[in-house]
Amino acid sequence: MKRNTMRDYLRLLGTFFRVSLLGELAYRANFWLQAIESLIELGTALALVSVVFTYTQSLNGWHASELLILIGTYFLIGGAINMIITPGMSRLIEQVRLGTLDYLLTKPEEAQLLVSIQRLDLWKLLDLLFGLALLVAAASWHGSWPSPLQILAFALTLLAGAIIVYSFVLFLATLSFWYVRVENILVIFESMYEAGRWPVDIYPGWLRATLTFIVPVAFAVTVPAEALTARLTWLALLGTLALAALALLVTRLFWRFAVRHYSGASS
Amino acid sequence: MTISATISVEHLRKVYRVYEREAGLRAALRGLIQRHAQEVIGVDDLTFRIESGEIVGFLGPNGAGKTTTLKMLAGLLYPSAGTLQVLGYLPWRRERSFLRQIALVMGQRQQLIWDIPVIDSFELNRAIYRIPSAQYRQTLDELTDLLELASLLQKPVRNLSLGERMKCEIAACLLHRPRVLFLDEPTIGLDVVMQRRIRDFVREYNRRTGATVLLTSHYMADVEALCQRIILIHHGKMLFDGELTRLIERFSPYKTIAVRLQEPASLDPYGEVIGQSEDRITLRVPKSAVAPVTARLLTEQAVIDLSVEDPPIEAVIEHIFTQQEEVV
Amino acid sequence: MRQLLAVYRQQLKTALAEQLQYRAALIIWLIEVALGPAVSVSVWSTVARNEGGAVNGYSSAGFAAYFIATMLVNYATQTWVFWEFSRRVREGEFSPLLLRPIHPIHADLADNLAYKILMLPVITLVTLILFFAFHASIALTLANVLAFLPALVLAFALRFILEWTLALLAFWLTQVNVINQLYVVVVLFLSGQLVPLTLLPTPVQVASAWLPFQWMVAFPAELLVHRLSPPALLTGLLAQLAWLLVGLALFSLTWRLGIRRYTAVGG
Repeated sequence: MKRNTMRDYLRLLGTFFRVSLLGELAYRANFWLQAIESLIELGTALALVSVVFTYTQSLNGWHASELLILIGTYFLIGGAINMIITPGMSRLIEQVRLGTLDYLLTKPEEAQLLVSIQRLDLWKLLDLLFGLALLVAAASWHGSWPSPLQILAFALTLLAGAIIVYSFVLFLATLSFWYVRVENILVIFESMYEAGRWPVDIYPGWLRATLTFIVPVAFAVTVPAEALTARLTWLALLGTLALAALALLVTRLFWRFAVRHYSGASS
Repeated sequence: MTISATISVEHLRKVYRVYEREAGLRAALRGLIQRHAQEVIGVDDLTFRIESGEIVGFLGPNGAGKTTTLKMLAGLLYPSAGTLQVLGYLPWRRERSFLRQIALVMGQRQQLIWDIPVIDSFELNRAIYRIPSAQYRQTLDELTDLLELASLLQKPVRNLSLGERMKCEIAACLLHRPRVLFLDEPTIGLDVVMQRRIRDFVREYNRRTGATVLLTSHYMADVEALCQRIILIHHGKMLFDGELTRLIERFSPYKTIAVRLQEPASLDPYGEVIGQSEDRITLRVPKSAVAPVTARLLTEQAVIDLSVEDPPIEAVIEHIFTQQEEVV
Repeated sequence: MRQLLAVYRQQLKTALAEQLQYRAALIIWLIEVALGPAVSVSVWSTVARNEGGAVNGYSSAGFAAYFIATMLVNYATQTWVFWEFSRRVREGEFSPLLLRPIHPIHADLADNLAYKILMLPVITLVTLILFFAFHASIALTLANVLAFLPALVLAFALRFILEWTLALLAFWLTQVNVINQLYVVVVLFLSGQLVPLTLLPTPVQVASAWLPFQWMVAFPAELLVHRLSPPALLTGLLAQLAWLLVGLALFSLTWRLGIRRYTAVGG
């Protein structure tokens, strides 16, 4: 049997992307509604930062421009999560509840991949683009451009953060094989994610621990922003990468175990 | 207009203004300033009276204006022209005392609260309609009995089947003993047994309380079983108002003759053969030819059995509507 | 009047029974309601620490008390009807309400109160947790509690009427959610839930005094934690009363126009 290469996966993702794009283009009004929604959210975040920085020069060592870099990262990765990860996961939970997951399991393609990219909320792309624009603007305002090494570290931690969040959310969604009413868990994740607009080191210990290890917001937002603002130690970088690999592995094993359990239970 | 009629409608008209909307943002923005309005006639010059205690069937194809008329009578829509009165009230004012005397049943999920037992929704209606305790208990007992609700009352609505939900929905609408009942497609989507039960119930409710009932239905069986009188509308206009049997007399130019023969023979010369099964042949003949054709059949063929029937009401109504379409 | 009370009693019972079905949602609500104040307190405490212990008279403990108070007032005055209404109109759930011999606003008021009763244990728990986690300090006296109560009731009445009026926009517009979202952001800022109003730029403070939002949340909250001076108390109560009257006038006008429109185009 021919093994799938990375290129095959990317081609599949591209196809899903194109199909959703065609579907969404039929409802252009949604584009504008999402644009307004994203701008409102971005505006709120920026207004709040501007109020905070009229009273202080630095927030726990983060200067205004650095905080904007953090918020840019927040929107960038939040857009990616809400575009690709959460829609597919909430669909997965729905499929388990309605018993329609079987169709997907019979497709001649890796089920975990199909489950992960089966639904795209395309206009969240706007969040991602706004985030990127803010990142660039904040970096140029910051004065010194990040070094190539910092950019590399940023890219790596961003990827690692996305993988950790993906693994975490897939893990939660996979629980639906046993507990039907987990759709609420995703809502909890979404509301906890909002705490990521600020660097996690301003929170008291218990909240910081929650946002780091229970709901991995810290890895998704704070760590990449630290990488870009020269705060990240080599140790933390390596630790983050190792954690991402571990999270992916654990979730992968859990998913396979769950599918075996599911097939056994439903037959 | 006299007050005595329960419902009286004169030259009732409802025109909707529909704005055309093109796709796209630019068109939407342009639409903010200048819109292309188009008038759609929902109901056009309807006039009828319904006396107290009548059960009247309101017939017409989809989009004929049945629901629009019911909504105007119940006070949900404001008429564009004409006058209407229900129980001496102007419905669109929706005075409390008017609303306490009517009920409009329109499909599922409007009175009952999804997540809680049926009886709790009933209790809520008791408070809202200010039904005195004794009367409430008596009506509830009656309804429970007639609709066989006893086993359903304690169940949450979401656990009921479609038919059970419809029964409870109807009961919820009747707790305040409305004197006028508007039923919009009360049996839609229900199985045959449940349809018959609802039908029997409506007849019984009308008999016991003397309530006036106006109902629309797609199922001719509902109308045949319940309504002495029907009002037929098409494209918002009245086509017929009167007894069901008169409708057939007036609109069907044909009768059907069913014949059983001793030995097979071709009956083509006698009329149009519209059905043939084993030894039974059905002919369609013009009304005026019924007598001579029957006479000829009896003398010329070896007839075991012969009967003259009216065509089924569906066929008559279909015939009327298709004729109308041709005129339009 | 007695009969109206009977309707309320029954409506409350029904709403309680209905909402008890969604106990799982309580946990989500607990996190959502606690997270906002926790983030705000963390941010502003950090600023206060950086600036030598206090910002504009607010110490860390003062910020904690203020944000807990706004959370409580927000809980007491919050409504959801403007999210609900567009669905109601779109899905034909409004017509049955119109056929009842009672104004639909009563059912919504009873629903809202029922929800609050149900959430009371949750909000108490959240208050206690936040109070101790952030070392809040508050000095309550009988006098400021007595002044707080009428202000809270007026704030609720004002907010309920205004938000019900806002909800009626659904009679005219199909895409009201963007407007609702904008409204939520404006309320967050100008009602003092994100930032104490005295920390906002002066022009915004002046504008805010003439708008209804600060009288819906910030005023009762400040009353509780700061013991406002008698003139400020009087001004606040008068502003609340004035806006309540304006709200009632707007409500009855919008309701009449809205119903006229609704019954012209068909429900």
